[in-house]
Amino acid sequence: MSAQLLQPAFADPVLDAQRGFRAALKALAGPGLIQTLQPTPSLEGLEPATYALCLALLDVDTPLWLAPSFDTPLIRANLAFHCGCPLTAKREDAGFALLAADDLLDLSGFDHGNDRYPDQSCTLLVQLPSLDGGAGLKWRGPGIESEHGVALPVADGFWRERERRIEFPRGLDLFFAAGHDLIGLPRSTRIAEERA
Amino acid sequence: MNDLTQAPVRDAAYNFAYLDEQTKRMIRRALLKAVAVPGYQVPFGGREMPLPYGWGTGGMQLTAAILGDDDVLKVIDQGADDTTNAVSIRRFFARTAGVETTESTPDATVIQTRHRIPETPLHADQIMVYQVPIPEPLRFIEPSETETRTMHALNDYGVMHVKLYEDIATFGHIATAYAYPVMVDERYVMDPSPIPKFDNPKLDMSPALMLFGAGREKRLYAVPPFTRVTSLDFEDHPFEAQKWEECCAICGSRESFLDELILDDAGTQSFVCSDTYYCAQRVSQQEQGQ
Repeated sequence: MSAQLLQPAFADPVLDAQRGFRAALKALAGPGLIQTLQPTPSLEGLEPATYALCLALLDVDTPLWLAPSFDTPLIRANLAFHCGCPLTAKREDAGFALLAADDLLDLSGFDHGNDRYPDQSCTLLVQLPSLDGGAGLKWRGPGIESEHGVALPVADGFWRERERRIEFPRGLDLFFAAGHDLIGLPRSTRIAEERA
Repeated sequence: MNDLTQAPVRDAAYNFAYLDEQTKRMIRRALLKAVAVPGYQVPFGGREMPLPYGWGTGGMQLTAAILGDDDVLKVIDQGADDTTNAVSIRRFFARTAGVETTESTPDATVIQTRHRIPETPLHADQIMVYQVPIPEPLRFIEPSETETRTMHALNDYGVMHVKLYEDIATFGHIATAYAYPVMVDERYVMDPSPIPKFDNPKLDMSPALMLFGAGREKRLYAVPPFTRVTSLDFEDHPFEAQKWEECCAICGSRESFLDELILDDAGTQSFVCSDTYYCAQRVSQQEQGQ
């Protein structure tokens, strides 16, 4: 691993990680509402919010699955160095996964947890070009007072794929990241059929 | 009250908020799963804290994992800001995290609580952290963890209704007065921690995020904001919170949860608010009104 590969991570590892986590917690506790992270470093291929989630949540206990578009020597080297997370080629073993919009149509293989331990499921970190501009949908469920209108730019097929993968309490939790912004989509959120 | 008037100084001998970073990450990941599956008890690798189990080690680990330098921390014990447990935990975080502490409910961003929900309504952007002794609501009915986990998995909560029914058969009403079981988002039966059932309605559709931590049992769980939380009951025996004929002897409140005081050997009673901040607020408002 050459020295040039390594890029800076959080300037203040303790408090920046805490801020990243609190943004993630708020995003998941208020599905569909955009949380904006304070300025954090980025990596070629990983935008600030995506990188901040990785730095805040990953460590030696969390095997990470990288979608092909993120599987670069730079990302591998920096996540290995700053997080120390093992990388896995098998989706079944992943505690976290990094995906792009194109990868959302096939979520097979990721651990959904089981009925006794639904918390053992994989968490998907999805990097998008933006968090707006797609088809508007109405989100309901825990964390949402009545409903949130969200227009994530993802293919229709993703929503069918998500539906197929959720048998509550089993399911997949997702974070969508773009630039410094973040949206959480826990398995408990119910996506209404009608368009907003 | 000295710990409130002096600006807190962080003791740099400890990592921020006491716990090491890897432990915090482990708890944080568990918290995210707890929020994603409301009411489900997530196992976590509980650490030893520098105080005994039963003093709020679970709540403290959660508080340590979420706390940031811009948070304002309030700690209450049975509603009071000035009891040993509350003062100790507040000072612990003032020293290890250097965070600002307060007794004011609206000013706090994180409220760690033992057995009460403040009377003052909570708002969004607040996080409640509950200290939980026994997180499993079915434990007194079924001692085996394997069995209770299966019951949660299968959504099989008949025994809980049998227990409540036995109360009605024996006493004519549901006699559970605290740690009254609730159903979260129509899926998981949850122990709301030993809050009086008076506080149960405050859990329903609350704008604040509720986190629960049990240190000895190494379980944490959560109720996200705006989540339906219903107290278990029967159509012909609906849930009912406590009511008092008396009012608070200090502030005169008829809406708050009252503690009974015995004043002499003859058994003379007096009732005062359990929430000290709420009571003091009302008294100062009344004084200003005069």
